[in-house]
Amino acid sequence: MALLKREEWQGFVRDVDWTPTYVDDEAIYPEWHSGTGKVPREAWLNWEESYKVTYPEYVATQREKESSAYAVKAALQRSNNFDILDEGWKSATKMHFGGVALVEYAAVLGELKMARFGLNAAWRNMATFGQLDEMRHAQITTFFGHEFIAKDPQYDWTQKTFHTNDWVPLSARNLFDGMMTAPNVVDLAIELPFTFETGFTNLQFVALSADALESGDVNFANMISSIQTDEARHSQQGGPTMEILVEHDPVRAQWIIDKSFWGSARIFAALTGPAMDYYTPLEHRKQSYREFMEEWVIDQFIHTIEDYGLKKPWFWDEFMQGLDTWHHGLHMGLWFWRPTLWWRPKAGVSKDEREWLQEKYPNWETVYGDKWDVMIDQVNANNVEATLPETLPWLCSTCHLPACNATQSRDGKWRVRSWQLDYDGKRYHFCTNACRQIFWKDRDNVNHETLIDRFLAGQIQPMDVGGVLAYMGMTPEVMGDDPDYAAWTRDYVGRTATGLAVPAGKAS
Amino acid sequence: MTEQQIELGIEDRAPELVPLNAIFATDFVQILVPVTTANTMAEVAAAVAHHVEGKRVRALPYPKVVFHNGRKLPAEMTVAEAGIAPLDHIAVEYDTPEGQS
Repeated sequence: MALLKREEWQGFVRDVDWTPTYVDDEAIYPEWHSGTGKVPREAWLNWEESYKVTYPEYVATQREKESSAYAVKAALQRSNNFDILDEGWKSATKMHFGGVALVEYAAVLGELKMARFGLNAAWRNMATFGQLDEMRHAQITTFFGHEFIAKDPQYDWTQKTFHTNDWVPLSARNLFDGMMTAPNVVDLAIELPFTFETGFTNLQFVALSADALESGDVNFANMISSIQTDEARHSQQGGPTMEILVEHDPVRAQWIIDKSFWGSARIFAALTGPAMDYYTPLEHRKQSYREFMEEWVIDQFIHTIEDYGLKKPWFWDEFMQGLDTWHHGLHMGLWFWRPTLWWRPKAGVSKDEREWLQEKYPNWETVYGDKWDVMIDQVNANNVEATLPETLPWLCSTCHLPACNATQSRDGKWRVRSWQLDYDGKRYHFCTNACRQIFWKDRDNVNHETLIDRFLAGQIQPMDVGGVLAYMGMTPEVMGDDPDYAAWTRDYVGRTATGLAVPAGKAS
Repeated sequence: MTEQQIELGIEDRAPELVPLNAIFATDFVQILVPVTTANTMAEVAAAVAHHVEGKRVRALPYPKVVFHNGRKLPAEMTVAEAGIAPLDHIAVEYDTPEGQS
């Protein structure tokens, strides 16, 4: 018997929908999960994925990817590859493993929701493959990070991070619950596959894999490219959903994309920014974070939204200005509050590194150089204690990241400004104007309590640095510290230093 | 005879905790600083400066002043008198001869 040609059966297997007669459509696809809103039910019949795949093809390809990733891993386990990696790069991988492994699992739940409540059978089919992808990503990321625990206990946070109340996962949980757990599937498809995956991670993973190879981490590069090939496929659920939504409800499409672009940009500034501009050794840096964002994220994003007839988000100027400040402030915050991290943040401000930063960011010395100079002088005065925290940074009620974004006023001064809001008998503080606006527009949505809210409500005891670290699940063998103080302070030894705080008990 | 309940003014009550969102001069981040209703502005400025001055922002030989809602507050005024409430934002600046630092 002759087999049917692929194109003859493809359409049939990708859409196995039928018309229910025993129950209402609403009972199967309730609005609060399916989220059609102003889009007529029948409009979803036109949903069509640009990349078609069948189950046998899917399984064969995934099997190949898995075998090749694990074969490389097995081969490298016998080498000293890990031991020769730079401490900065290792920190970037610890941050990645901890920050990503269980977000991949949250994405499984998001894909499953689309596989169940998407209003087109082909979409549900595509999301079924998507959830298998995300399950593989959660597993491969957890497994690859787990391997290094015996060499360095900080890798334990690969699996542990999202089970703690550390401020970094609190911020990420707030973002990803908003993006994957809370929304209906239409909003979810715009937030996750369309904005976060197509706009940010898919391209970042290409760059991250190249950085890993440059740093000599073949294993990590291999894992990342294996994941990226899946992302490139399942992220395409965003496009067809956007096409239908934008035709019937462009205002909603614009709001969802604006909100998720902003949230994605904030978390990228916190994690990708410091890794690219401070942790990666100078000789391995190919481009700055700003250059990466301009080349890989911004150009592509603008083309995409214009193709759909949408506008640049209302916060565009604030976002573009933030490319010169957000991640520098966040890096300084990560470094200063380093006991709260499960990696060893490099300060990365030796003379050569500062020259590079100043060349890439012409205001860097003006806005950040003076603060680093004081910390350098304190380290060189054997007063590292002065560079350690005794209170909490204020955390934004929208992105949960420290309020540390300096802006320049008309008189030329750079200052961190107050963005506050009184709502429902409570005062909120934000790191930026757009975080405040998003909170206001979305105020009835789920908003987690920030670490500051929890602290002031008495949930953290005792109310001191030790109590906060214990609440975060931080233990002494994992607690972050600078890997090499001399590396960035030795250039400045012997210079005259004034205006330094004197350690308690010592006369000035 | 019923005992008359009189609510004491905040200046006559025991000091109450006032957690603030504070920024010191050119520092890079807002921080949490707890003060009390009885603290003077000079004490509030010192409490904020403790976390930053000479640690991230080089100390300058000028007095420090507290700004609240755009108002520069006198050094002897208390938190209660200034009407500074929990979760309010304050900025501490150097009072330099040519204006704030």
